[in-house]
Amino acid sequence: MSLEQFTDRNVQQHYFKVDIEEYPQTGWDRFKQVVKRGLNGELFVGLWVVMREMIKFDIHTVQYPKEKLPIGPRYRAVHEMQRLFESGTERCIGCGLCEKICISDCIRMDTRIDENSRKEVTEYTINLGRCIFCGYCAEVCPELAIVHGPRYENTSEQREHFILFEDMLTPIDMAIKGEQKEYPGFGAVTPNEDARVKKTPLAY
Amino acid sequence: MSEMINFTIDGRNVSAKRGETILKVARREGIYIPTMCYLEKTNPAASCRLCVVEAEGVDGMVLSCQTPPTEGLAVITNNNVLHEERTNIMRLYDVNHPLECGVCDKSGACDLQNKTLEFGVDRQHFTAKEQSRKIEHWGVINYDPNLCIMCEKCTHVCNEVIGDDAIELKFGGYKSTIIPKNSDHLDCTFCGECIAVCPVGALVSSDFQYKANAWELERIPSTCAHCSAGCALEYEVKTSGAAKPGEERIFRVTNNFEYATLCGAGRFGFDFDLRGEKDGKKFVAALEAIKAADAIRFSSVITNEEALILQRLKEQTGVKLYNEDARLYREFVTAFKTTADGHAELATAADLKASDAVIVIGSRIATDNPALRYAMTTAARHRGAKIVYMHPLEDALMQNTVTQFIKYEVGTEEGVMALLAHSLLEGVETTKTTAAFLEALDDGYLSAESNVGEEELARIKKQFKRTRAKTLVLGSDLFAHPRAENIAKLAGLLARYGGYRVVVAARDVNTVGVSLICDLDVDGGSNENVVGYNAAGAFVIAADDAADLTVAALNQQEGTVVNLDHRVLPLNVAVGFGGYVLNDLANALGIGKRYTVDFTPELPAEAGFKAVAFDSLENFYSPLGEDSRGYPLDKGKKPAAQQCEAVEELPEFNGTVIYYCDPVQQFNAFTARTAQLDKATELRGSEQFAVAARLKDGDLVVIGSGETARERTFVVDASLKGTIALEPTFDRGIAGRKTAYRFEKVNIMKASNDE
Repeated sequence: MSLEQFTDRNVQQHYFKVDIEEYPQTGWDRFKQVVKRGLNGELFVGLWVVMREMIKFDIHTVQYPKEKLPIGPRYRAVHEMQRLFESGTERCIGCGLCEKICISDCIRMDTRIDENSRKEVTEYTINLGRCIFCGYCAEVCPELAIVHGPRYENTSEQREHFILFEDMLTPIDMAIKGEQKEYPGFGAVTPNEDARVKKTPLAY
Repeated sequence: MSEMINFTIDGRNVSAKRGETILKVARREGIYIPTMCYLEKTNPAASCRLCVVEAEGVDGMVLSCQTPPTEGLAVITNNNVLHEERTNIMRLYDVNHPLECGVCDKSGACDLQNKTLEFGVDRQHFTAKEQSRKIEHWGVINYDPNLCIMCEKCTHVCNEVIGDDAIELKFGGYKSTIIPKNSDHLDCTFCGECIAVCPVGALVSSDFQYKANAWELERIPSTCAHCSAGCALEYEVKTSGAAKPGEERIFRVTNNFEYATLCGAGRFGFDFDLRGEKDGKKFVAALEAIKAADAIRFSSVITNEEALILQRLKEQTGVKLYNEDARLYREFVTAFKTTADGHAELATAADLKASDAVIVIGSRIATDNPALRYAMTTAARHRGAKIVYMHPLEDALMQNTVTQFIKYEVGTEEGVMALLAHSLLEGVETTKTTAAFLEALDDGYLSAESNVGEEELARIKKQFKRTRAKTLVLGSDLFAHPRAENIAKLAGLLARYGGYRVVVAARDVNTVGVSLICDLDVDGGSNENVVGYNAAGAFVIAADDAADLTVAALNQQEGTVVNLDHRVLPLNVAVGFGGYVLNDLANALGIGKRYTVDFTPELPAEAGFKAVAFDSLENFYSPLGEDSRGYPLDKGKKPAAQQCEAVEELPEFNGTVIYYCDPVQQFNAFTARTAQLDKATELRGSEQFAVAARLKDGDLVVIGSGETARERTFVVDASLKGTIALEPTFDRGIAGRKTAYRFEKVNIMKASNDE
C-alpha cells in the first residue's frame, strides 16, 4: 500500500451486495430448500478439509495447559525472587524500596536484624489481587532480586491471592545447578554494564 | 549589650548580635552554608570543617560555626575554592564508607548521603586500607564504627546537654572510634540522644535496627506522656505483618534534636498503647458505676479534655473528684503565689537553661524529671551555672552537673527553706513584717535539726553573689509535705525579694492542666463507691487491659496537656483504638460532644486557656528553633497576699526510712509495660543501709505490713550513700502509690525462705 492511500481520508466506498437467494415464500418452497441443502453433500466438504489437514500431521494447536507458548522477555507476569549465582543466598536485602514504590500498595514486608547483624526479611507478601503488574518493583530493586517471571496463570478461589517470599524464591537446588535464568526484562542489567563500572583505587 | 555588628555575607548587609557566629546569622538570613557536625544546642565541635567561609582580609578560611563576625567584615560563603575544599572533605568522608545504604537505617535521612549527592562524589578518589572493626552492642544502642564519621555530635550532646558524659572519642586518626568513657561497656541513662543526633547510621536503636526505613514511616507529631516536661516527639508508625491499613504499630520515636531533647522513657517507652474493643456490657457497667459513684478518683495521666469532662460531670451530678497529685500541686502553687506577689509567674525549662545559679530542692530530679536535669546540665556547661542540689540523698547521676550538694535530714524541708530564705535574703530590702519574720527564725535550731550548716549556706551566698539569672527548682517531695503550704510561702519570699525564678517540678504529664481545670476534693483514701479513672477505685476505668473498662492510652488520643512550662501541648493519635473513651461515657450521660477534642476550645478561660480549636494547634519547632507547639497559658489570677507562718517543730525520721523513687526511665504503669525500658523493681540501698537493716545483697524482703505489705529483692547499690533505701513504685499497676510525702518510715523484714 502506498502512503497516498493511507493518507487519503476521502475513502471511496465500493460496496456490493452479496448474492442472496430469494427467501422461500410457501411451505413447498421451504421443503424444497431443506431437501436441496440436506442432500447437497456440503457437509462432506468441511469434513474433507479436516481430514486432509489431519493426514498431513502439520498441526499448530498448542495443547494448553499441557503445552505453553514461550512468553516474551518483557512480559510482566507473576514475580520471582532470584538468588545469587555462586553462593545461592537470597538476593533480597530487605531495603523496602519495592514496598515503597508499589503504586497499588500490594507489597508488604517485615525485616529484622539477624544473629550476624545483617538485615533479614522475615515476611514478604505480594497481594496478587491488587497487583497491577506495572513492574516498578523490578525496576527499583537495586539487587535485581525481585523480577517478573513468565508465569501468567494466577487464578485463585478468592480475590485476595497472596504469594509469599518462599513461593517466589528460586529453589536452592536450581540455583546451585545454575538453572536460574537471569531476567532479561524491564530493569535488568544492560549489556554494556561492565563498561560502566567505576573502579576504586587500590593503592595499598 | 544591644549593640549590633554590621557586616556582609555574599554582599548582603546583615547584622549580628554580640556573640552570634557567622553561621547563625547566615542561617537566620536564609543563606546556606553546609555543615556536618554542627548542632544548635551544643558548642560547635568544629570537626567537619564543611562550614568554611572566606572573609575579606583574613588569610585562609574561617570556620563559620565558631567565628563571630567583626564590624564591616565581608564574608563569602561559596566560590570555586570553597566548593573544591568542601568537595574534598566529602571525598574523604566517603573513603571506605560501607556501601550498605540499601539496608542502613539512616538511608533516606542521612546527612552523609545528602551531602555526597550535593557535592557529586560518585567515585572514591583516595584509598585507605579497610579496617576490621567490631559492631558494639550497648543495650538499646548499637554502634557500628565502620559507619561512623567522627563528627562528635554524640559526645558533645552526652556531655553538654544530658550530663551523663558516658561516651568519648578515642583519638587515633583514621582509627578513631567512639568508646564508653572509663568503662568497657556503656553505663549511662540510655536517653538515646546520641542516636538522635547521629548524622549517619553509626549509632542506632537496637530495637529498631533493620525493622523499617525512614521513608516508610509515617511521622505523627505529639507530646511525650510520661512526665510533666511534655517534650516534643514524633511517633513513627507503619503497618507490620498482616496488619490491615490503619492497624499501625509504633516503630520508633524521634525528636527535633536540634532544639529539643528527649529522655530514654520518651524515646524507647512508646509501646504503651492498647488494642481495645467495644464491649457493650462493660460500657453499661461503667455507666452504672459512674451514676452510683460518690466520687471519681483519677490520675494526672489524662488530657485536659478528659479533665474537663470529669469537671462537667461534677457540675452536673455533684460527684466528688479526687486527684491528690494535682490538688497538692495546686495548693502548693497557690500558696507560693500568696507571698511571691509580683514575681508569682512560674519559670519554664527554657528559663532554667538560661540560669547561672540554680538551687534544686525536694526532688531526685534526674529520675523525676529528666528534662529539667538536661536544662541544668546545659546551664552548667554553657553558662558555667552554679547548681546547688539539696536533698537527703546524693544522686550519682547529678555529680557531673552539681557544684554543691547539701544534705538535709528527711522531713526538715520547711526548716531548710526557712534557712535558705533567711540566708539568701540577708541584707536584701524587704517589708517590715517579712524582715521581722526572718529575724525571728531560730537558725540554730533549724540548722541543728536539718543538718544544713552555716558554712554551706554561706558558700551558696558567696557563689551566687555575681549571678544574674537565679532559679529555684522545687520538687514533688515538697507538695506532699505536711507543711507544704509554708514551704511554698517561703519560696515565694525568695521569688519576691531574692530575684529567684521558681520552677515547680510537677509530677505527671498533666498535673498542671488538671490542677487548673478541675475543682478537686480532698481524697479520704477509701475505695468504697469510688470509680477510678486511670487510678484506684472500686470500679476501674483505665488505659489498662486489667481494668473493668479499658480506655485509650495517651498515644491513642487526641487532646491537650499542660506541661510545667504552662504551655498547652497537643497529643495526637499514633495508633488507633477500637474501644470506648471517656467521651462515649459522657455522651451516654448527656454531657459529651461528638469528639473529645470538641472540648478543647471550652477549656476554662479564667485558668488561662484560649478558645482555640484543637485542629488549629501547631506542634513543631521552626527551622530557627522557635517553639510553635500549642500555646502558652495566659497568666492566671493572683491570689490575695498572705504572710508566712512560723516554722513548726521539725519532724524526725529515725529507723528504717525508704524514699519512693523510680529508676531511670520509669515513671508509672505506662512506662512499666513498655518493652524496651529497664524495669528494675528491686529495693536499692547503700552498703551502710544494708548493715543497719541487717540485709544482704539479693535478700528477699517484706516491706511494710497489712494491706500495703509488698515483697521485693534487696540489692546493694554502690552509688548510694546514707541510710535511706529507694523503693520503686512504677510497678504497682494503674493504682500507683498514694500521693503522700515521699519518705516513709517502714518496717523491712527478711522474707522467710521456707519453701
